[in-house]
Amino acid sequence: MHEMNLIKNLIDKIHELASDEPGKPIGVRLRLGALAHISAKHLREHFDREVLGTSLEGIKLEIDELKDINHREAQDVILESLKFEETDGH
Amino acid sequence: MAGHSKTIKVDYLARVEGEGALHIDYDDSGVQKVQLKIFEPPRFFEALLRGRDYLEAPDITARICGICPVAYQMSAVHGMEDALGIKPSGALRELRRLLYCGEWIESHMLHISMLHAPDFLGYPNAVAMAKDHPEVVKNALEIKKAGNALVRLIGGREVHPINVRVGGFYKVPENRELTALAEQLETARDLAEQLVIWSSTLPFPNYEWRRDNHYEFVALKHPTEYPMNEGRITSSKGLDITARDYENYFEEEHLAHSTALHCTLKNRGAYLVGPIARFNLNRDKLSPRARQLAESLKVAAPCLNPFQSILVRSLEVLHAFEEALRIIGKYQKPEEPHLATKPKAASGCAATEAPRGLLYHRYDIDKNGKITVAKIVAPTSQNQKTIEDDLRLMLPSFMHFPEDKLRGLCERAIRNYDPCISCSTHFLQLHLNNGQGQSS
Ligand SMILES: [Zn+2]
Repeated sequence: MHEMNLIKNLIDKIHELASDEPGKPIGVRLRLGALAHISAKHLREHFDREVLGTSLEGIKLEIDELKDINHREAQDVILESLKFEETDGH
Repeated sequence: MAGHSKTIKVDYLARVEGEGALHIDYDDSGVQKVQLKIFEPPRFFEALLRGRDYLEAPDITARICGICPVAYQMSAVHGMEDALGIKPSGALRELRRLLYCGEWIESHMLHISMLHAPDFLGYPNAVAMAKDHPEVVKNALEIKKAGNALVRLIGGREVHPINVRVGGFYKVPENRELTALAEQLETARDLAEQLVIWSSTLPFPNYEWRRDNHYEFVALKHPTEYPMNEGRITSSKGLDITARDYENYFEEEHLAHSTALHCTLKNRGAYLVGPIARFNLNRDKLSPRARQLAESLKVAAPCLNPFQSILVRSLEVLHAFEEALRIIGKYQKPEEPHLATKPKAASGCAATEAPRGLLYHRYDIDKNGKITVAKIVAPTSQNQKTIEDDLRLMLPSFMHFPEDKLRGLCERAIRNYDPCISCSTHFLQLHLNNGQGQSS
């Protein structure tokens, strides 16, 4: 259930960023800390389910799994970047 | 359009938000009101279960919590089996205990190493703690990994295991698959023993529940085992009932300040579930090594210092390893992975011991096996009133603390109970209300 809340927060942020951009978001890249309590597979599963039927359905999710348990982001899930489809004229 | 895209760099930290808020009302005469708001999921899942097939219950309930999916599955299958009048025994029953051992290890280790130990030693998180205590964090991850391996093998995968079904399992492991795990488990057990000794040296705040007036401890009790999957619901003040009687003795109260329900014992009030309650009622049933260690470290029952829950958790981790090795040592693959099940109109109840305490499920199903009623009472909602009472008793001596320090203390006190909000490192929104209508 924490994961549901986490993903929701993530998706809200994506929507917020997308509303400032002209194109459609087509890719999202996350960094997953080595000590984050969620696994990449689990994260992907939740993400895919949450975007189903929304404007983000079909968006490509890439997850960088960090291996270093001493990294300062080792417990975090970071939204690294968003990829947008370029609209004509831009 | 292919190739024409642009990427924007964000670096945004995803957060678990809005899961915990603590409101404290106080004035010159003391702390008046303490309200803990917890976002609690089982209510939502009860609605989701209605109309679904009885065989779907273990997979749906597993999604209630990513940290203790097995607990929800176990209570769900036991509840359904109670309704259908079947009772897996022998190796199937042992495999369920084994799976539960894996979950206790995973969940307790996450709580101990990522949240509670850093709290104790004054680090903001495990990463910061690892700089000064690399061995502790490394060993903790090693121990947790062994728990993951158990859940993966028997549950089918590490998170949201999918191999559990009403009547048993979809697939049972081969003897050699289990014995192949034994060496890893033995190594991790020895590390777990060191962890118990280490956690006994932590600086426990000098705070105890009053001996004459402590909470009623509630946990399962089984005639020969430290309780996991089954037993009678018992308490330190003489309660001794079956799961079928749960709703006659316990009541839930809906409170406006929280989405969670408050549970109390009828006519008796707040009670405590979880490792300390389990330990206090079942210390004599711990595995030999865990029991001896508890004795040599002078961890007596009843344990009345809530901050020692971290020590009790580590004892339970050691116990879980010994229990797992015992089960693996005598495992013989059962002929069938599950008993045959056939739906009928019926009602069933079950209680099991989730890592964070007693978990109760009740299901009504119709003749086609469709779920008509699902009721799930999670450990967090059972402890919520006790957490608030505890804070109310503890806070008057600390209200002069600056807000940051006060929040830290409250987080730490709440973490003793390992409620389901404790995943996020800094989870607590603290609202102080000083009686003059000022809030900060
Ligand atoms: Zn949880």
